[in-house]
Amino acid sequence: MLVTMENVRLSYGRWPALDKIDVEIKQGEFLVISGPSGAGKTTLLRLIWMGDIPDSGIVEVTGFRSDRIRKRELPKLRRKIGIVFQDFRLLHSRTIFDNVALPLQVTGTGKRVIQKRVISLLARMGLSHRRNAFPHELSGGEQQRVAIARAMVAHPVILLADEPTGNLDPEVSREVVELLLEINRGGTTVVMATHDPRQVPAGKGRFLFLEKGVLRGADRWTELDEES
Amino acid sequence: MSMIRSAIREISLNLHSKPGARFITLLMVALAFIVFDTFLIISWNLQGIMDQEENLVGMEVFLERHVSTAQGRLIGDNISIMQDVKSVYFVSSQEAEALFRAELPGRAGLLDVMGSDFTLPASLQIVFQAEAINQGRISELSRQIGAMAGVDNTVYGEDYLPGLIKTVTTIRRLVLLLGIVLVSSISLVVFYTVRLSVVRRSLTVDIMRIVGAPWWFIRIPFVVEGIFMGVTGSAGGLAMAAVISKVLSSAVTHRFMPMWWMILVILLGAVTGVVGALAGSYEKER
Repeated sequence: MLVTMENVRLSYGRWPALDKIDVEIKQGEFLVISGPSGAGKTTLLRLIWMGDIPDSGIVEVTGFRSDRIRKRELPKLRRKIGIVFQDFRLLHSRTIFDNVALPLQVTGTGKRVIQKRVISLLARMGLSHRRNAFPHELSGGEQQRVAIARAMVAHPVILLADEPTGNLDPEVSREVVELLLEINRGGTTVVMATHDPRQVPAGKGRFLFLEKGVLRGADRWTELDEES
Repeated sequence: MSMIRSAIREISLNLHSKPGARFITLLMVALAFIVFDTFLIISWNLQGIMDQEENLVGMEVFLERHVSTAQGRLIGDNISIMQDVKSVYFVSSQEAEALFRAELPGRAGLLDVMGSDFTLPASLQIVFQAEAINQGRISELSRQIGAMAGVDNTVYGEDYLPGLIKTVTTIRRLVLLLGIVLVSSISLVVFYTVRLSVVRRSLTVDIMRIVGAPWWFIRIPFVVEGIFMGVTGSAGGLAMAAVISKVLSSAVTHRFMPMWWMILVILLGAVTGVVGALAGSYEKER
């Protein structure tokens, strides 16, 4: 198992954000975590990249356990994970090339390797011609593709996408989801949090539904679909 | 090696970003330091005045008339090896007369009236170590010296010494207290200014940590920035204080602070800058 969560509970102050969470994520899986705003989707992703540590229960990600991990080991874990956010989180004072190259620069990768990998990835994302542009010069869809490129440049074993289409129009959203599915077909595990699970075609992934911090079962999205 | 190169690149990028905000931060730090520097200049000059006053505190030891110059010098040598005595100067009878005539020319006639046999007594002028200047210690020295053979009597400022000591001690305590308050305030001002500047770039810290940058890699640009802002801000404050001091020098005679004080001011800037930068980046740690 790539990720295991056992009876996980996490509260922010008196407010329980997640409770009794048991999840296993296999290598190569495409997992969709859906649920309304405030259901705990982002918190669940934060537990995977250990931005938060559970109050009780254990999260294990690629061999790193939440109850044993030391502060200095967190960067090692995060190098195995790529993260994409709804608001892209690009550095606006840096070019597209530098934004994508960042995960390699911070780990001391050689200049030639960085050059080769970033250029090839930007070509794959259809962004070669924008590599010297700055984020504010790009459309929302392009910025999200840059964010995905940054998340993928260090060859992570798992890609976390937190509402990656939240700021995009439906057409661009479809393109982004297709890009995530393509990444998953390449062997990378993808975990996508979204309030609208219908963005991912049925049969393309496993679906989990979160409500008020509790997992409500895999088929809830289908019920919602039927209700609507 | 490429990691260090990347870190240097990050430092450079960090120092070149948001020049407007950085200028405002530097100005804030420099302005805070001007207040502190002004206080230091005042303290330094006050210290000079108090030292001068203390140097005036001494004792005059009048020798008996039969004491020869050689004996007088011997008594002086014995006093000079006493603890807390800084220097002893022997004033011969002839020198005393010359001094009297020079300092009190209107009364020089008195010496002539006394006749040719009259001579002023030889004396010893004693200067004490600064740390010995307290009423109890000087009284004790006066008693010991007064009991020595050949010594007629001793004179020191019994009437003004207690007041002077009290005033000097009070001023020193006030300056120290004000200094502590100002150092604390300026440290907080620099700390919060630099911290705010770091927190303003929390997105950079966020992104760095999610892409797996080690903690030292995330912090080092901010630490360098803290040093840069602290040193430049304090040096800028010193430069502005120097200009103000120069402008005012014709109206108010004073000295600028010594070099080692300036070095300490810049060090204070650097340390508070680093602490502020570290605190700012620690807040975003996990």
